[in-house]
Amino acid sequence: MSGKKSINSAIAHQERTFTRFMLGQRWEHAILLLSSFVLLITGLPQKYRDMSWSQDLLSTPERLELIRQIHHIAAIVLAMEAIYHLGRAIYLMARRKMRADMFPNLQDIYDAWHMLQYLFFLRRDKPVYGRYNFEQKVTYWFLFFGFALMGISGFIIWFPVQFTQFLPGGVVPASKMAHSTEAVVAAIFIVIWHFYHVHIERLNLSIFTGRLSEDEMKKFHGREYERVTGQPAAKLDEEK
Amino acid sequence: MRLGKQIQSAHSGISLRASLTLLLGLLFFAYAVVSFVTPVQAAPVFQADKPANDFCLACHQEDGLDFKLGKDTIAATINPTQFGNSVHSDQSIMCVDCHTDISDYPHPKVKSKNARAFSFTLFVVCKQCHEDQFLKVQDSVHQRAIDGGNTNAAICTDCHNPHTQGRLTGKTSGELTPSARIHIPETCSKCHSGIYDAYKTSVHGNALTQENNTDVPTCIDCHGVHNIQKPTTVSFRNSTPFLCAKCHTDPAIMDKYGITTNVLNSYVADFHGTTVKLFEEEFPGQPTNKPVCTDCHGVHNISKVDNPKTGIALRENLLVKCQRCHPDATIDFPSAWMSHYEPSPEHYPIVYAVNLFYKFFIPAVLGGMIFFVLTDIFRRIVNRIKGVKHV
Repeated sequence: MSGKKSINSAIAHQERTFTRFMLGQRWEHAILLLSSFVLLITGLPQKYRDMSWSQDLLSTPERLELIRQIHHIAAIVLAMEAIYHLGRAIYLMARRKMRADMFPNLQDIYDAWHMLQYLFFLRRDKPVYGRYNFEQKVTYWFLFFGFALMGISGFIIWFPVQFTQFLPGGVVPASKMAHSTEAVVAAIFIVIWHFYHVHIERLNLSIFTGRLSEDEMKKFHGREYERVTGQPAAKLDEEK
Repeated sequence: MRLGKQIQSAHSGISLRASLTLLLGLLFFAYAVVSFVTPVQAAPVFQADKPANDFCLACHQEDGLDFKLGKDTIAATINPTQFGNSVHSDQSIMCVDCHTDISDYPHPKVKSKNARAFSFTLFVVCKQCHEDQFLKVQDSVHQRAIDGGNTNAAICTDCHNPHTQGRLTGKTSGELTPSARIHIPETCSKCHSGIYDAYKTSVHGNALTQENNTDVPTCIDCHGVHNIQKPTTVSFRNSTPFLCAKCHTDPAIMDKYGITTNVLNSYVADFHGTTVKLFEEEFPGQPTNKPVCTDCHGVHNISKVDNPKTGIALRENLLVKCQRCHPDATIDFPSAWMSHYEPSPEHYPIVYAVNLFYKFFIPAVLGGMIFFVLTDIFRRIVNRIKGVKHV
């Protein structure tokens, strides 16, 4: 989310690149990816325990216990990552060291409307996006609230005795229901929405490399390019 | 006749009569061989010259036939009316079919040291006719106790007095008759009196003993009969939910009392039941610390859930059960268990609301995503076909 411009001249071909994600943010994504994956594969057999594939996996009580332990450890890792992520974002934004680019705004609605018109052949040009486009914001916030819900409900079903000391008992079965349903929704969301946009629509590896090329900046984040360079982004995405 | 004719035509020189004689001789030989090879069914060999029951009863209906075996007194008097009503009399079983060592008077001296030992020498004859049941008992917890030296454990004659036992099953149906069912707990109570006392107070036992209601389980419906298994084993415990479910998922019984048949489904759908079901299926011998039906509802003393004193519909009563495993549980904890309810606006509105939310949320999210992705793909394909310089 850093708005700091970085011209990396040390790269071969002398290509001008822009820092999109700091090293810490790339690590955060890696931890998020790994822990979510572990949570998903250890959670699914518990949700679909009626299925034979699940019972093959949970073929002994020890394995059932083990799979729960792994799920809990991954949950703690993800919870700590979430706390770090929030703490860092709040700290940096409070100190005006980071622009609040990720928050949704009216422009996103215009952009989405613009995109919709484009998809229906009502416009020839695609919207010119800022640092994060509306699709990326949907991804972030959908998973943000999804993970928050899964985190809270997960800890409630992990510690039902403690939580019912101040919450009504009904929150436990409600959490159980919400936890695994939300998990499946999130998994489907990642596969359909996120994978489509970062793998199929175009291969966007900036979360791993941390950089965008000048071309990519102009094409996909034109307004951000203009903001950081002061030069207009050529209207590359307009159809002839 | 046809066979005889065939033989005749084959041996044209031999008369029909000679052929038939030969054939009969062969048949008899075959029968002799077969009956020699085939083991004789374990059925009493009723001899024509056995003394008739009336012959025995002539003396044995008299009072004062008691005799001493060690410290025990054996009553040798048989009430002819009671015996006449018994299933053994009905089936024309003779006294000496069971008392095989007696054929005349004076009888051989009873060598047993006491009454129990005497019973042990006699009850093995039950096997002659009741082999199925007798062999089942060999696998029972009672037989195991006997093998371990506990001669108080039940043998056939402890539950079925051979001189008075009436018919227990319907003559045509072969099913246990309702009147037989009503008396089962009394039979078991001869030894298991404490359990009978608890059972009588339970919703099941009360209905059976006070209202003669045979919809309810008697001892044998849960414990089985003859091959009764130890009920304190892990596998018995793990199978408890399915035992109770035999009746409690049967609408033919439950609808009469307005009891839901969803109890097993709702149990298996929750944490405890999920684990127990998994254990029951995959490793029935492995102990689980998750509760089964009896841990909350009780075993022999099961009461109505809405019983104002003991019913576990009262959170206070259920909390006590919860605390056996969750010692720190507080008064709101029991309602974390949905009490076999399907979530609805009345019962567990939060869970109902969550369900309802996802019912709309999932199609909305899926629909939205798929719409954007598909239209995007379509526009790209059109761009490519038109040869538009694509971004």
